[in-house]
Amino acid sequence: MNTALVQPLEQTQPGAVLAAPVTDSAGTVLLPAGLSLTAAHLESLQRRGIGMLTICPQEDPEAVARQHEKIRARVMYLFRHTADEAGSQALLHAVLAFRQASGR
Amino acid sequence: MKPPSLDEMIGQVQKLPSMPTVAIEVLRSMAGADIDIDTLARQITQDQVITARVLRVANSPFYGLQSRVGSIHDAIVVVGLSAIRSLVLAASVMSGLPAIRCPGFSQHRFWRHVLGTAVAAQALARPLKRPPEALFLAGLLHDIGRLAMLVLYPTDFTTVLGIAAARDCRLEDAERSHFGYDHSEVGAALAQRWNFPADIVDALAWHHRPALGLPGGLAGIIHYADAIAHALDLDQDGDQPGQMPSLDQDAVSALGLDWESLNAVLAETQARFDSYEPLLG
Repeated sequence: MNTALVQPLEQTQPGAVLAAPVTDSAGTVLLPAGLSLTAAHLESLQRRGIGMLTICPQEDPEAVARQHEKIRARVMYLFRHTADEAGSQALLHAVLAFRQASGR
Repeated sequence: MKPPSLDEMIGQVQKLPSMPTVAIEVLRSMAGADIDIDTLARQITQDQVITARVLRVANSPFYGLQSRVGSIHDAIVVVGLSAIRSLVLAASVMSGLPAIRCPGFSQHRFWRHVLGTAVAAQALARPLKRPPEALFLAGLLHDIGRLAMLVLYPTDFTTVLGIAAARDCRLEDAERSHFGYDHSEVGAALAQRWNFPADIVDALAWHHRPALGLPGGLAGIIHYADAIAHALDLDQDGDQPGQMPSLDQDAVSALGLDWESLNAVLAETQARFDSYEPLLG
């Protein structure tokens, strides 16, 4: 079984996946486990003074692509009657990106 | 047989059980500034089912506590008064209504969706600078009218489920097709019977048609929170049927969420849902 890595923020690259949620000193969840980190996330965490992250080991790119496609198909199924509606656009794109990044 | 009119349905709603005493006490504590934690903890502890559910969440891995929380008083200290009040309300609503006996309707999925909407509404509170507890409560209750319809008229609701499946339409559209009204109106009547504040009643009444709700009210936020819960599939474990509600563009625009805020709301909704999931048993 692959073991999660605990590593400094400055050694973490965009695309790394969180193995545990990032919390602030009050215990509030800043980012959930399973999230694929973007450069914006990393900058935000640096601003908040987060030092260490628990990261998942690298995954097989083909397996990731298959999972992304499966999630895309599910999200488009849910939006099958509303994907073209103006009110749905922001949520559709944000949910697709979020679910693919978190693998859920 | 002809389905019940809205007046008949609302007449029957009056016969449903009242909110559990503990929930009423929690609501009173939310309304007043002066809160005695010991008294509130004692009142919660009197309901064993609710206490057990709340302690299950407080002891879930999400909170990562070193030692086990054994009492509501300790849970309030560790998890926070606001979170405990939300959990007590959720557990009260879930255990307060009779079980459903309607083939094809999953009560478990219903509660997952309702809890998902409540946490999404709570997540929206931060960027929108609105009261998180009132939004959690409105999310928790937003489909309560559907549950009342199911409890009171299970045979009619079986017909509604059949219409939704045959037409591949939303359940509220099938409700309107069969009954001539939907769960929003029934839910608002039930919330009035339970003496919920006017902003909660308004949110229940108009969460599918937010343009008709009170200006600046909660209906538009619950409208979006409901959609977020559907989009994240919070009502299910696998890939079962489901579909997004139509979103009111003006109501969405009025929220003024940018991409970064929306992403933060999605992340917080998912994380909070994971932490509250043990409530569902």
